[in-house]
Amino acid sequence: MKKVVLAVLIALMILPSAFSAPKAKVKIALIVESTVDDKGWCQAMHDAIMAVQKKYGANLVEYSYTEKMKPVDAGSAARQYVAKGYDIIIGHGAQYKNLILEMADEFPKTTFAFGTSGEIGPKNVFTYMPESEETGYINGVIAGLVTKANIIGLVGPVDGGDAARYNRGFILGVKSVNPKAQVQVAYTGSFGDFVKAAELAHTQIKAGADVLTGSAQQALGALRAVAEYKDKQIWWLGQDTAQLAVPESYKVIAAASYAYEAVVEALIDKRQSGVLGGESIPLNFSNGGFVYQFNDKVGPVLTADIRKAAEKAKADITSRKLVINWKDVK
Amino acid sequence: MSILTFVSNVLSIGIPFSVALLLAALGEMFNQRAGIFNLGCEGIMAMGAFLGFIPAYFLQNSPLAGYANLLGVLAAGGAGILLGLLFALATVTFKAPQGIAGIGLQMLGWGTAGTLFRHFVGGVTGIPGLPSLPIPGLSKIPVLGPMLFSMNAMAYLAFLFVPVSYYLLFKTPWGLKIRAVGTYPRAADTMGINVTKTRYQALAMGGLLAGLAGAYLSLGQAKMFADDIVAGRGFIAVALVYFGRWHPAWILGGSLLFSIAQSFQLAIQVMGIKFPYEFAVMLPYVLVIVVLALTRSSAVRGPAELGKAYDREKRI
Repeated sequence: MKKVVLAVLIALMILPSAFSAPKAKVKIALIVESTVDDKGWCQAMHDAIMAVQKKYGANLVEYSYTEKMKPVDAGSAARQYVAKGYDIIIGHGAQYKNLILEMADEFPKTTFAFGTSGEIGPKNVFTYMPESEETGYINGVIAGLVTKANIIGLVGPVDGGDAARYNRGFILGVKSVNPKAQVQVAYTGSFGDFVKAAELAHTQIKAGADVLTGSAQQALGALRAVAEYKDKQIWWLGQDTAQLAVPESYKVIAAASYAYEAVVEALIDKRQSGVLGGESIPLNFSNGGFVYQFNDKVGPVLTADIRKAAEKAKADITSRKLVINWKDVK
Repeated sequence: MSILTFVSNVLSIGIPFSVALLLAALGEMFNQRAGIFNLGCEGIMAMGAFLGFIPAYFLQNSPLAGYANLLGVLAAGGAGILLGLLFALATVTFKAPQGIAGIGLQMLGWGTAGTLFRHFVGGVTGIPGLPSLPIPGLSKIPVLGPMLFSMNAMAYLAFLFVPVSYYLLFKTPWGLKIRAVGTYPRAADTMGINVTKTRYQALAMGGLLAGLAGAYLSLGQAKMFADDIVAGRGFIAVALVYFGRWHPAWILGGSLLFSIAQSFQLAIQVMGIKFPYEFAVMLPYVLVIVVLALTRSSAVRGPAELGKAYDREKRI
């Protein structure tokens, strides 16, 4: 058995990466509305670019970023990057769509990107879209098996983008293992209102939910609310692995994260092969766009059977044996 | 779920969530009663939230942990007073346009809190926060107990401050001076009331309450801090002053109405009632606008000199 494992490891090490090193120096700029250390949305993309820079070296990948940019202010930052000769400018958020489209028209030789979006943009605009129904499904499988009350609470930010995909995947995951379970879906209407997310989580718990989940930055508020029920069997499933490192992690059974390295490498690779845009780059388990982690410190709630069911779901999704028809969920 | 349980859940979540709005709106009421319109309430709340959070964050595992919340509340209130006085310097002494100065203060508070948070903390993290303080006996009353008598100490004090602010504003010489400088400062000046000093005092009081409102958000509600923790509640507080006709009791009513509407819309979403969630999210805001529109007389009850700088030397 040890030999088999060793052979697999060696094979993995010598397998060629999907992307090769940049042929020439590439300059990447990132524009974010929050900060690059926000333990959430913006940090995920920043960390990915830093990882790619580390992989290929700062002499091949030059990187700069601008934080706290509202869409109305971001134009001046983007123009400065164009003037300084940056090759790829990423506006990390769908709110930058209009700005990116305007800039792309004005500067056709620069590659622009924004996400999350599945739209196909102009020839020098890439979009990227996490297929987050995949992570939602696995979290749903765990939630469906963990719940004793058969009531599960979903603290949504808005019903759009990757959050909508996550929510629908989650519902399908729950139903696949526990058709009797009821998923209570509600939205705060905001990606960043922690206080309202906490209020919604309390509402869910008072309505009987014993397992909760939620996505986007606001979800930390909901997790904080779950942690207030310290001695009760109320659990959280995360859509950000940073939640496994916060003091409230004793309530987190498992969490997923976006690994934007796949997007960053694809952007570099495509640009250097002459494709400046006009495509949407997906993030999924198959292309290494997601990370999924169990929380071993959570205790007996994470049984071997539950872990096995989640791992099977992940394997089936990765191998495309399981296709999640998230659009069927209304 | 029975209707009684539903109502109990909505109220027991909605009522504590009104506290930050109530404190901030009462503070803004003092500002506006003195004739100063402070749009910077949001920024003071952000600073209050940050300074309320910091002692709890740093002292949570130290022997001083028991004093952390108190220190946070004091720091938030102190910073609120200082920011209120800074606003007074700009708008009362230097007679800067109040709207612009308010926006500046909002940006200053928000930016400073976010920068300091990033420097000293780094990322979003939780704190123990204020514990619930169930009142013995009363908290066991069915339905009413969890609603009204199982809150934290700051929430009780905030509700107690409603009659206190009524007393201060309508039953003390200081309250009379505040109302006088907001209604007819020239007459007040003629009667020997120091308009500048009174307006400074009102803005310090407004700052104190806005700072405490921020501290309540981080210590009592979210039990964490993040850049956007205030999320527009400072502006809602300003609207609630108009809604509440510059009167503490009406402001209490407005704060409760808004928060309970908020809690109600979340509860109906959770119940799975087929209803576009966008409309549900809008409900509390629409409700405030509708009530504001229906209470036309509010305009004539506002401080006559609201938003106008007072210049003793200016000829009428």
